[in-house]
Amino acid sequence: MLTLKDFQREEQPNWCPTCGNFGIILSVKKALMELNVPQEETVLVSGVGCFAKLPYWIKAYGFVGLHGRSLPVAQGVKLANSKLKVIAFGGDGDGYGEGGNHFIHACRRNVNIAYFVHNNGVFGLTTGQYSPTSKKGTKSKSSPSGSEEMPVNPLALAIASGAKFVARAYSGDPKGLVEIMKKAIEYEGFAFVDIMQSCITFGKEHDYFKDKIYHLDDSYDASDKVKAMGKALDYEETERFALGIIYQEL
Amino acid sequence: MKKDLVVRIGGEAGLGLAAAADILAKVFVRLGYHIYSSKEYASQIKGGHNYHTLRITNSNVSADVNDVEVLFAFSKDTIAKHYEFMKKKGIIFVDDSFNVNEEDNKNLVLIKIPVKKLEQELQEKGIVNALFLGAFVKYFGIKSSILEEVIKEFFKEKAGQGERNSKAAREAEKLVERVEEIEAHNNKFDFLSGNDAVTLGALDAGLKFHVQYPMTPVSAILHNLAKEAEKNKELKVMQVEDEIAVINMAIGASYAGARAMCASSGGGFALMIEAMGLASMAEVPLVVVEGQRPGPSTGLPTKTEQGDLKFVLYSGTGDFPHVVLAPANIEECYTETKRAFYLAEKYQLPVLVLIDKQLAESFKTLSFHDESRKLSIDFSKKYGVKIKLEDKDLRNGLFKRYQVENDGVYERTLPGTENGFYTCAGDEHDEVGEIIEEQEIRIKMMKRRMNKLDYIAKELPLQEIYGEKNAEITVVGWGSTSGAIIEAVERLQKQGKSINAFIVKYMRPFMSEEVGNVLGKAKKLILVENNYSAQLGGLIQEKTMIRFEETILRYDGKNFSVDELYEELKKKC
Ligand SMILES: Cc1ncc(C[n+]2csc(CCOP(=O)(O)OP(=O)(O)O)c2C)c(N)n1
Ligand SMILES: [Mg+2]
Repeated sequence: MLTLKDFQREEQPNWCPTCGNFGIILSVKKALMELNVPQEETVLVSGVGCFAKLPYWIKAYGFVGLHGRSLPVAQGVKLANSKLKVIAFGGDGDGYGEGGNHFIHACRRNVNIAYFVHNNGVFGLTTGQYSPTSKKGTKSKSSPSGSEEMPVNPLALAIASGAKFVARAYSGDPKGLVEIMKKAIEYEGFAFVDIMQSCITFGKEHDYFKDKIYHLDDSYDASDKVKAMGKALDYEETERFALGIIYQEL
Repeated sequence: MKKDLVVRIGGEAGLGLAAAADILAKVFVRLGYHIYSSKEYASQIKGGHNYHTLRITNSNVSADVNDVEVLFAFSKDTIAKHYEFMKKKGIIFVDDSFNVNEEDNKNLVLIKIPVKKLEQELQEKGIVNALFLGAFVKYFGIKSSILEEVIKEFFKEKAGQGERNSKAAREAEKLVERVEEIEAHNNKFDFLSGNDAVTLGALDAGLKFHVQYPMTPVSAILHNLAKEAEKNKELKVMQVEDEIAVINMAIGASYAGARAMCASSGGGFALMIEAMGLASMAEVPLVVVEGQRPGPSTGLPTKTEQGDLKFVLYSGTGDFPHVVLAPANIEECYTETKRAFYLAEKYQLPVLVLIDKQLAESFKTLSFHDESRKLSIDFSKKYGVKIKLEDKDLRNGLFKRYQVENDGVYERTLPGTENGFYTCAGDEHDEVGEIIEEQEIRIKMMKRRMNKLDYIAKELPLQEIYGEKNAEITVVGWGSTSGAIIEAVERLQKQGKSINAFIVKYMRPFMSEEVGNVLGKAKKLILVENNYSAQLGGLIQEKTMIRFEETILRYDGKNFSVDELYEELKKKC
């Protein structure tokens, strides 16, 4: 049986204290531990951003490539060796902006990998510009009078692009996050999880999401694609974020 | 056949010119002749003016010539377009309904085929190519059974169509007299394009993963391999969203242990550049084929040029090692692709095979039975892959994958290997792949990577000199222009000129000493390139301080023919 210690490496994460990435990295380790995936068969692939340093701090095979390009690398790894468990990581700038095209096509291609996006609504590593998921009107260093673009809706985009497993999680909800990660890792096909995350230095405060999130319960039918699309879109009106599997093809 | 026979097939796209060219070439392959076949076409699917030229010879050549002996005129304007290239007493096969005037075509033999009439009689459409082919084989005394076999093979599953075309050819045979007699030779050749040769080279090197986004002139590599993957379950072939995905996916596959390749032209390669640096930094083996066409931008998509040499040489940020191999003919498209896989794997870096439209899409006969063409590399084993790890290989449970003291041996583990953990990193990193900023480690890692070029230089064979080593004049070139250079120089040698040709094949690492020595012997140097700015000349100057006073440059989208180049060289000798 694996323990959390098995994933320990000599270097410790250097994210800002209390950053949501700590919750995410711990959840990744827990999910892998609970699923008992052999470490040597685990490949963690990321791009560039604060989030992207995650593979440096987990003992497994890691690949830290280019900004926005974790998905093609991860699919190449899986296609070359189907025995490996491959998880790709993205950021909202990295995965929805720079690598947006890969996201659409990875949804269509349905290669058996999991894709976790650390969505903090900001470009963290480049010190706080607005990102593709920032709300319209967001003031930042690069949008001093407020951003003019509509934010992308990653869940709706994934469903529209043919993804068969689409989920939302929150970095401040470790229990729910581990469960969703496990399901995504076990899912046979492309499994996408948008992980909402605060950025205490440049973005939203931790308590921003506190009364905006709720868990989908058993009465929610995730296999109904049209309803799922509605669920993916509704926070734009309600500012309430459903957590759980939004859409999963039966 | 005493002399060369040059056949040109011209007309609008969509009339079956390519089929006629392919079938005719294969007829001559069966007769044991050498063939060099090139095509000129417009970037449109129907209409426009396209032509194929088949140079049928008794010796091995890799270039076009000017004079055309036989013309298949699929449209009326074909004759006008190619009239100036026709040899005296040249033969034109033409549809009689074009009403071509004998007066306008003095000194030429017109063979008029009643296409409309035959189409009516046979109740067929679109058989002009079969009619011309039938008339051609009869005129040249080639057995009709050979043509029929080739037609049958061409149409394969579509047996009915093959039969109908053969029937049409037989009808046309009845209309012409036998005038010549072409004898058969006892040669057995393969007939391949540069794209085919790259494909075969990759497969013989154990290619397992190919990924590409279509782009002229190298789309055929994707087509070839996609077809191959249908029967070869070990091979994975992907067409993906863009060239950035292409190269990153190839890198992922290679990192996981599959021999991987990708291909594009300049525009697509431009999108790959950031990831060239990634492969070099993370030390992932990778073979990239770049098929040049004239830029900038979309440029002339279906024409040829050697304008990307400097671009591919400097295709990345910072100082990073990569290899650039430039095959000079279709045979070398095969051998250099194989070499690319070997170097990429052994030295864990990206290796570029630089070709162009003229190489990629021209066809020629060659013989893979010829042992000298085979590069003796054992591709059954993987180079530099560590399977078992000992304590000395590890630092705190991580594999010292980017070890500094390595004596030229570069090792990695593949994911799945017990205790082989490391981070494959695009950031500067230490020996286990940990992200670092320490200056001493940075310096050591730069050296570890850059040293590869010195090790590789020791493995490369000498580049060829054609003619006397100590000739007074040396003509220098590279890539697809080599065929014309070598033949033009041979003509001048036969006239007693003290001249040789030197073809540069290894662009990076550049063999400065070798090139300097060869060029240093000549009293006069002439540089020939298919580009505007003499890019190889610039490279040679950078590396050897040798400057070219005399250059012959062409950048109109066309390759040099032997005749054109001969005339140009003669003026300078
Ligand atoms: C091609 C390229 N463009 C720009 C950058 C600079 N860059 C690094 S990280 C980043 C944005 C990161 O934002 P995000 O992906 O949301 O990750 P976060 O830092 O917020 O976790 C940018 C623009 C880069 N590294 N590469
Ligand atoms: Mg972000």
